[in-house]
Amino acid sequence: MERSERLWFGLLILVAVVVNAITLSPMVPWQKWLLWSRQTPDRSFNIEFEDYQIKLPPQGIQVKVGELVEFVATSKDVTYGFGVFRKDSTMVFQMQVVPGYENRIAWKFDTPGSYDVRSTEYSGPRHPEMFIEDAIQVSP
Amino acid sequence: MVRIGWQEKWTLRYAVVGLLFLALSGLEGILMRLQLWVPEALRGMEAVLNTIRPVAREPSPAELFYSMLTAHPIVGVYGFAYMCVMGAFYFLVPFLLKKEIRHKGLVPVNFALQIIGVMTCWGAGFFGLFNSLYTLYWPLPVSYDRVPLMGSIVFAVGAAVIMVNILLFSYNLFSTVLSKSNPQGYSFWQFLRAAFGISRLMKLLGKEDKSAPPLDYDGLPVFIVAVGRGSIDTVINAVVLLTAGALILIYGLAALLQTPLDPSAVNALVYKNWFWWGLDMVADGNVLMYTAGVWYLLIPLLVGRKLFGESVVRTVIMVDLLVSMGVWSHHLLGDRVQPFVMRLLSGQFVTWGEFLTMGLTIFASLATIWLARPVKFSPALKFVLGSIFGFIMGGAAGLIQANVGLNLVFHNTQWVVALHAHTFLLTGLGMLLFAVIYALIPMLTKLEIRSQRLVNAHFWFWMVGSVAMAYAMGMAGARGMLRRTIYPLPNPYQPFLAIGAIGSLLMAVGFVAFLVNIIGTLGWTNVFSLVVPERWLSRGAEAAA
Repeated sequence: MERSERLWFGLLILVAVVVNAITLSPMVPWQKWLLWSRQTPDRSFNIEFEDYQIKLPPQGIQVKVGELVEFVATSKDVTYGFGVFRKDSTMVFQMQVVPGYENRIAWKFDTPGSYDVRSTEYSGPRHPEMFIEDAIQVSP
Repeated sequence: MVRIGWQEKWTLRYAVVGLLFLALSGLEGILMRLQLWVPEALRGMEAVLNTIRPVAREPSPAELFYSMLTAHPIVGVYGFAYMCVMGAFYFLVPFLLKKEIRHKGLVPVNFALQIIGVMTCWGAGFFGLFNSLYTLYWPLPVSYDRVPLMGSIVFAVGAAVIMVNILLFSYNLFSTVLSKSNPQGYSFWQFLRAAFGISRLMKLLGKEDKSAPPLDYDGLPVFIVAVGRGSIDTVINAVVLLTAGALILIYGLAALLQTPLDPSAVNALVYKNWFWWGLDMVADGNVLMYTAGVWYLLIPLLVGRKLFGESVVRTVIMVDLLVSMGVWSHHLLGDRVQPFVMRLLSGQFVTWGEFLTMGLTIFASLATIWLARPVKFSPALKFVLGSIFGFIMGGAAGLIQANVGLNLVFHNTQWVVALHAHTFLLTGLGMLLFAVIYALIPMLTKLEIRSQRLVNAHFWFWMVGSVAMAYAMGMAGARGMLRRTIYPLPNPYQPFLAIGAIGSLLMAVGFVAFLVNIIGTLGWTNVFSLVVPERWLSRGAEAAA
């Protein structure tokens, strides 16, 4: 290996180590509770997917800013996606909903307001209809 | 009219059909971009097309969109890219090894079967409205309340034809490399040992078997090493997708015979792992290796200098096989039920292995050009540099999304499909295949590319169009726009969609400039000679004489 290659290879390794270290660290906010703590969720909500329908808990989803909330999504037919979106349509987080499994994700909302829920995985031609406006209410 | 040899003619035929598939795939892409921008834009055209579809009721715009979205990547990847790769390799492998293709009869068979397979899959979408998308997530392809049964069966048959054909093609390639007519013939196991780098590793550890043939391929051009190495991925991909297609076919035929099988008998997560492991052998396997191989071949030829760091490059080729076999979990980072250790190791860390291997590959390629200065920027070299840019841009976007943390906001967004996948395919792979065509035409026909202006127009329209489309849609993805989702009007993504649609139209202009130039270079007579049977041409020549 020539000197220029060794230098380049060293630079590549440095970039790889730095980017991986940063993105796995608590500098990415959700890594604090997804990766670096084993905190028990303050609340848990079950969401069921079936026949292009997203079924939220009958009492709705109300949470407080800063509390750790767990979403448990299940599907009775095909693969869907559980995605939470702000009112400006930007994504907060999402996960796949694989049939035959309890798909879990914990989250802490940092801003009060209403959030929409949308299926983020294609499940058939009616997939774009799978949208619930103001599905989650986050209070201060 | 120039005299074109048998193998050269078949290579040109593969290229012509590949370009026709690119045109079809590109047209679908433009139509879908328009429909995303203005959801009702295609209603008039679809009303006309519905008159030739054998369906009981008028399909919804969404059904038509998703069936087009299912056919689109099959036409683009297995039509355009594979046809061009097959044609190029059928010329280059025997050319570089200085011997003939081992089974010449398979060359026209591969040509016909690939067209039949791709068009069958396309027909399953266009006529049968099969809409499960290329991902085929279980059990969607066998959920006949949302996916048409006949469409599903026809698609599975078409996919099986493609995969069997790819296995035949790979067999012919390996057979040619390993055949005894090669002055340095290899047995299959010697070749496999070398492909996995075992012999090279033994040599590094000082345990070289000196009585063995040159197992680390030192006797073969580095391009052949890359082709052999990438073709291992190609075979694995074909076998895995063949099993998925067979499964879908079994369920389809059972449903057709009124004895439906239970989809829950197949574990959706295990299937998804198996499917992505095989599918990723293309996305993160043979595409990268074939690309690297073509750079290693073309760049030294175009700049007249030996490849820089060839020993490192051979080791990189070996390492990349292990990387591509362990990288598939980055497609399952959104699956919280996928074991975390798999997501972190396979999904994130092994993916960064590609950063290292492609980083070294690109360095060797650019260093070769730099050290050969001054170089003439021939059409092929321009497009090689364009393809390197495409792989850098698409690769950077891929590394950002292939991250257990960041994937939470990037998975299944337009970022993934536009800034990563389409930059890889259109700017990276597309420009590379154009470079190959620009380089091969003078080799195959002894004709020089006719218009430099049209080459430049092709280059800039394609480059600006593909980057504008990918960047605009990538930014829409970063703002939450999902792939595979039609948004009703008004939506906040309209400006991005408009730029995306304009970008795709710019690429179409570039493609037309390319076609005009290629036809102008070859001349209509030579183009017709590719499709007219040889005996007709001989009769015509006799009559003229």
